[in-house]
This record gives sequence, structure tokens and C-alpha cells, in this order.
Amino acid sequence: MDLDSMDCTSTMDVTDDEEIHQDRHSYASVSKHHHTNNNTTNVNAAASGLLPTTTSVHELLECPVCTNSMYPPIHQCHNGHTLCSTCKARVHNRCPTCRQELGDIRCLALEKVAESLELPCKHMSLGCPEIFPYYSKLKHETVCNFRPYSCPYAGSECSVTGDIPFLVAHLRDDHKVDMHSGCTFNHRYVKSNPREVENATWMLTVFHCFGQYFCLHFEAFQLGMAPVYMAFLRFMGDETEARNYNYSLEVGGYGRKLIWEGTPRSVRDSHRKVRDSHDGLIIQRNMALFFSGGDRKELKLRVTGRIWKEQQQSGEGGGACIPNLS
Amino acid sequence: MEPRINDLQVESRVHELLDFPVHTNQISSAIYECPNDHIENPKKKPYNCPHSGAKCDVTGDIQRLLLHLRNDHNVEMSDGRSFSHRYVHHDPKHLHHATWMLTLLDCCGRKFCLYFEAFHLRKTPMYMAFMQFMGDEEEAMSFSYSLQVGGNGRKLTWQGVPRSIRDSHKTVRDSQDGLIITRKLALFFSTDNNTTDKELKLKVSGRVWREQPVSI
Repeated sequence: MDLDSMDCTSTMDVTDDEEIHQDRHSYASVSKHHHTNNNTTNVNAAASGLLPTTTSVHELLECPVCTNSMYPPIHQCHNGHTLCSTCKARVHNRCPTCRQELGDIRCLALEKVAESLELPCKHMSLGCPEIFPYYSKLKHETVCNFRPYSCPYAGSECSVTGDIPFLVAHLRDDHKVDMHSGCTFNHRYVKSNPREVENATWMLTVFHCFGQYFCLHFEAFQLGMAPVYMAFLRFMGDETEARNYNYSLEVGGYGRKLIWEGTPRSVRDSHRKVRDSHDGLIIQRNMALFFSGGDRKELKLRVTGRIWKEQQQSGEGGGACIPNLS
Repeated sequence: MEPRINDLQVESRVHELLDFPVHTNQISSAIYECPNDHIENPKKKPYNCPHSGAKCDVTGDIQRLLLHLRNDHNVEMSDGRSFSHRYVHHDPKHLHHATWMLTLLDCCGRKFCLYFEAFHLRKTPMYMAFMQFMGDEEEAMSFSYSLQVGGNGRKLTWQGVPRSIRDSHKTVRDSQDGLIITRKLALFFSTDNNTTDKELKLKVSGRVWREQPVSI
């Protein structure tokens, strides 16, 4: 899989810590018990020493049916074969391993064993150095900063994930998205039949500046019953970093203009989420057609914009702290 | 040269033409004493009271309307060269009590009406702010204005040309010729100031300026 190789190279860039590096190869799972017994033993030593044992404990916690990690309540049959609760509901009271009646027996011992385990985040190979108790690992993984990004292309459901350089290449090569360098832009959006909003028109352009990538979305949709056009920017990276940037969008004509200034949202927030929170330049169609001039039959919008880096003023405690828009 | 008369204005002019006969007949006898002048010189046609809250039948020239607005509607006057208004809406979830406000602005000796109101645009709750010039359309076009609203690191700016109060408040609103923000965005702007999201607090700032010398 080329996705894996992509991830691998990015790890090399991020990981400069020798310990983490080793961790990655051993894929350690360390028991808490061992840890407290010998405080000086670091994770790696424990991992290499106990590798056969911990690996098999880890295997014990894999559901034999779906191979996912099992979380309480963990079930077992009369013969002691274990099963996760999701699969238990699907096997019609018959143990998938021995075909005997399953019954309703909980495997508390295994749950306790799981509780004592500490495991590395599954995004370890992408650079996450963190180790978690078994039950909080799952929660972390859904918000881990190293988790891969989803493809920001909004038109069709694209399931590709990866890191930012990979996704930029993917957008360019597979979605044929226009790439631009520089922090200012000037785009014309022309649509010959703007009354047909049903076939939602949208466009994506990628900008490369300050060593980062930004997605400019432009689209037509119905806001409630009102046809509108909307333009907004998303930052290809994490939210904390997105807040270092600002952008402006301007559209107008015939003595009127509308200017939006905002902070780009991270591509972690889906295109739809940003759109539905109205966090961008929204132009009512009436006004858009007025800006277009002519006979109002054709949409001709010129959107100009700029991206800039927020001045580091966090010491003053001024506008630097921007709460997240939910 | 771009045509100065745009679609919005054409639309309102047509509207005016349709209004015209009934309108003048109605008021000519009572208030405005120029019974024969109306058709030949529409500039002298009296203006309607721009206070749109309740149906107000008062008409007259600008001076008379200014007095009327101050004395009868208690409308306040601000300096139009730079202003900043706070709009607080305690129950923004209930837009059907149409909330709106009128403030007067002064710039270069001319007066402007600044409207702020909550309404539904095709079922989507919105807030809108716009300005109208107390005078004729021709002179209105020599002015520009800007309105700005923001919070939470975002800012939306509208720059436009004030419409004459010859156009009804509703005409301007329905042509969307002003600063429009959705309630969702307005509430997001308001959460900047430690307010609960149940209350709307918007700060609208702006200014009016003369674009070019008047050529009447």
C-alpha cells in the first residue's frame, strides 16, 4: 500500500527521539504491574524483555470474530472462549469458536487484565509518542494530533486519508485541483445559468504560502430556502496552527462590496461543518447577481483575497485566543 | 462608464411610478401645498416618514420629518462620520417579534437613517443593517457608507451606497442591499463577550462619507 510508505517517510521527519523510534518497531504493550515494580525500567526495556508475553496478552484481547480490541463487557462461553459484546449480539447464542451454547457469562478476569495494560497510540507510526491505559487509548486515538487527515475534496465522498503532503499530491493528481503559490488571489467565478442551484456548483483551489497549504472553497447552495454563494478557507493542518493565520475575501461591484475577514478552519473540520456554521463569506444570490452586472442572467463574481500570518501578540493577551467554533 | 442606474434602483423606480398617483392625491390636500407641481417636479414630492415600525402616515419635507422622528418616534441622532452601535436581542430564538431599530446619522449636514432588524429571509433567520439617505436618490448616490460587524476573530464589512428614503424600507430590505448576517453567525459573533449564547449582542460600527461633489 502506498499509503503506508507515505506514512513511513513522514515518521522519519517527525521522530528524532531514539526511544520513540525503538518503540515503534517493538510495538510495545507494557503491563502496569511491571512498571510499578521497577521504576527505573523504561518502556523500551520492558517492551523488549516482555515482548512474547505482552504480545500474547494483546492477542487475547482481540475478538476472535471481528479482530477488534475488546472492551467491557467482554463475554465468554462455558468453555472459556472470549467474544466482544458487539459480536455476541450477532452470533445467536452460539460460541463461534466451539459451537456450544454461549450463555451469558462475563469475563471479568480479562477485563481486569486489560485494565492493567498500557498501550501505545495506534498512530505511533505517524509520530505519536504517547502511551495510554488500555481503556483511554481509544478515546485518545479519535483526537490524536497525529491521526491522518481526510481528503478535503468536497464533491464526492473521497475516503482517502493521509498526511498533508500526501493529500496535496492526491488533490493535484487525482482530483485535478488547481494549485496556486502566493498569499493573494483573484478568482473569477462564472456560471451561465445561476438559477439552477439544484446541481450544487462548487470549486476547490489550493494555495501554497508560508510553507503551508490552504483550501479555498466556493460553492452555491440553499441556505434554508434562500439561494446563496459561499466562499471560505480551510487550513491544511491542525486547528492550533490554523489560528496563526488570517484571511480576507472580498467581492463587489457597482458601488457595493462585501469583505469577510476570518481565521481559516482546520481541514479536521469537515467542509460541511464549516459551511453549516456559516463561517465564511456568504453572498445572497440577489446581491451576487447585482455584483455580476449585466442582465442578471449570468453569474460573474470576482473574489479577491489574501492570507496573512497573525502577528505574535499572545503576550498581550489580545485577540490571540480564539475559541473554537463548534 | 458603468451605468449609475442599476437594477436595484430601476426596480424601485418602477415601484415608485406605480405608487405615484394614489400617493400624491392622498397627501396633496392635507400637508403638502403644491398641488400642481407633483408630476413636473417629483423632487418636491413630500417624503414618507421613514419610521417603519408602525404604519406612520406622516409625510413632509426632510426638515419636518426630522422633527417628527425626534419628537414623535424618539429617534436619536449620531455623528455619521464614525459611529458604533450595540444591538442587544434578549431572545434571538424568537424572531417573529420582528425586532428592528432606527437611528439617525448626520454627515456633511445631510441625514441618514440606519436600520437594524431581524427578519426571515426565505425561512432563514437573519439580521440586516442598511442605510437610507434622507433626500433624493440622485444626491444619495454621491454618498457611500460602510458597516462592520464581528467577533471571535471574524469580521464582516459591507460597503454600499445609501438608498433614498423614496424607496420604502421594505424595498431596500427585500433587495438585500445591505449588510446581512445569518443568526448563526450573529450568535457566534456575540459569544465573544462572555455572554450566554441565548443573548445576541452585536456591535455594528461604520461611517458615511461623501464620494464626490454634488452636481445638482
